[in-house]
Amino acid sequence: MADRIFAGILLLVTLAYSYIAFAIIKAPFQYDPLGPESWPRILSVVALLCIVGILWKPDTDSLNVAGRTWFRLGAMVALLFAYAELYEPLGFIVSTTLFGAVVARMLGATWVRSALFGVAAGVLGWLLCVELLDLNLPESEWLAEFNSDNEGAN
Amino acid sequence: MGEVLSGLATGFGVALMPFNLMLVLLGCFAGTLIGALPGLGPINGVAILLPIAYGLGFPAESALILLAGIYYGAEYGGRISSILLNVPGDSGAVMTTLDGHPMAIKGEAGRALSLSAVASFIGGTIAVVLMSLFGPLLAQFAVTFSPANYVALMVFAFASLASLVGKSTVKTLLGALIGLMLATIGIDSNTGVARYTFGLPDILAGIDFLIIVVGLFGMAELLHLVEQQVSGKLKTLPVDRSFVRWADMAKTKWTILRCSLIGFFIGVLPGTGASVASAVAYGTEKRVAGPEGQRTFGTGDVRGLAAPEAANNAAAGGAMVPMLTLGIPGSGTTAILLGALLMFNIQPGPLLFTQQPEIAWGLVASMYIGNIALLIINLPLVGLFARMLTIPQHYLTPLIAILAFVGIYSIVGNPFDLFMITCLGIFGWFLRKMDFSLAPVILGFVLGGLFEGNLRRALSISGGDWMILIENWKSVLLYALAVLVVALPIWMGRRARYMAEGDA
Repeated sequence: MADRIFAGILLLVTLAYSYIAFAIIKAPFQYDPLGPESWPRILSVVALLCIVGILWKPDTDSLNVAGRTWFRLGAMVALLFAYAELYEPLGFIVSTTLFGAVVARMLGATWVRSALFGVAAGVLGWLLCVELLDLNLPESEWLAEFNSDNEGAN
Repeated sequence: MGEVLSGLATGFGVALMPFNLMLVLLGCFAGTLIGALPGLGPINGVAILLPIAYGLGFPAESALILLAGIYYGAEYGGRISSILLNVPGDSGAVMTTLDGHPMAIKGEAGRALSLSAVASFIGGTIAVVLMSLFGPLLAQFAVTFSPANYVALMVFAFASLASLVGKSTVKTLLGALIGLMLATIGIDSNTGVARYTFGLPDILAGIDFLIIVVGLFGMAELLHLVEQQVSGKLKTLPVDRSFVRWADMAKTKWTILRCSLIGFFIGVLPGTGASVASAVAYGTEKRVAGPEGQRTFGTGDVRGLAAPEAANNAAAGGAMVPMLTLGIPGSGTTAILLGALLMFNIQPGPLLFTQQPEIAWGLVASMYIGNIALLIINLPLVGLFARMLTIPQHYLTPLIAILAFVGIYSIVGNPFDLFMITCLGIFGWFLRKMDFSLAPVILGFVLGGLFEGNLRRALSISGGDWMILIENWKSVLLYALAVLVVALPIWMGRRARYMAEGDA
């Protein structure tokens, strides 16, 4: 059943894909025997055949995920979105500390250890990635102010 | 031959530069660690670390040497968690659990670890030697390939992929198609027409390869870890101080040799990687061992341990051959390395060995060095890696997310990409739950442009006549091989069933 639902969603997406390939993509004039629309057309036809094959003979009955696990997965996804949302506004150190601590706590570490892990991930991660490897990561606003103050003082 | 030697000399000149040497060692160490962690394998390891390696701004050959070290190291490290935890680091290490873990239960973990390290070393080294001999030859042959030949080669690659990888042929094929379809997003380079961009400026140039890789592999793996998390802690078995025994070596020398060759040739086949190689090698050795082997294999037979380990490391080397010489990756991980080459504006293919010898040969030479480094790192440090296995999953999981975010953000600095990788991670997790393997998706994505480009070029040459695709003997041979790889397993399955019925 799970297979059929998933294949059904893929079918809708592929139908939309093939509609665009057959009806919308057009080169202003013919450059070569195979225009920009031909390849997507071929792909969508083969993909539709495969999806029909799966709908015909599905082999995965259910996802086998317990209710509690669904909840945990949902929470994880929500945390990832929150992390992405706060990445720039809070800066790497603060957002990583929060994310690391909350996830570690959610997955079973104690409060104290989660907090220590979060701080370590944020601070050591910053030192390693930015100071040592010179990678580009978002600074938090207060750190940016602190830096500009320092530069101003010099 | 002289060409190979002078190429190797160039390569060692590059690989032995102190900075590159350091990167080989670093890559091997990090790779072993990644491979050893349960659940993380070469493909996820390379996927998560690729953006970071790219963001460091190293010259192309150095970055590739680092990535190849990680790839190789992870293939090596996979055996540690297989043996000590009975949890394979990735699919290539699954067969290692069969005899490795029973040995560890018997208190012979040290013996199993050191023997498997030596088997891996020999397998890896034989593969690199064969690669330096055959790679340039294959490249010379491939220089004569026309666009139509390339189309045939792609068909062969996807055919061997569909028949050898994953549980269901249809799903593997559909996975590859999803990758091919993702590759059509963006501006068509031939005509400048925008396809599937919906006016979004972020994807006008197509979806970035790194986002696909980190999303489908890194983030999907993370969700998989969250799902698999069990409250009961995994117990590692103690490692004793035993070293490689000569008796074991004598007993397994032919096994290792045979399986290295099997692994290499399976690795060279486009689309198939270490998992197929180790499974075939294990099965072959079990058959070679005869009735006595039927009893001892699976209970801690040293041959059953050496076979998959020699094979999966040889396959890792073998998979590099088509990647470097034809531009067709031999496995999911080499598909990622191929994408990495393209990011550095290096066009892999038959001309790579002659036009950019420092990259092609530097990589080959670094693999010789990497193999030796891995053996040296692995024998004495195996206790350290064994302790690393006990990193609790509740720290490992957030760490993967942090690494993925660092890697993706540090390149463009666009938070939109962070949402993209998370969404792709969810999609990848669903694909995995539905028994799709993800390697075909990435292979399709990497080869998509090449496949379409060659098809269009071939048809331009012939003025739209499709007969050009089968006009040349090379193409016909490749199509015949493609039919063979699909038909042979079906036929063999039928025969096995027929024989079984005959027995009953």
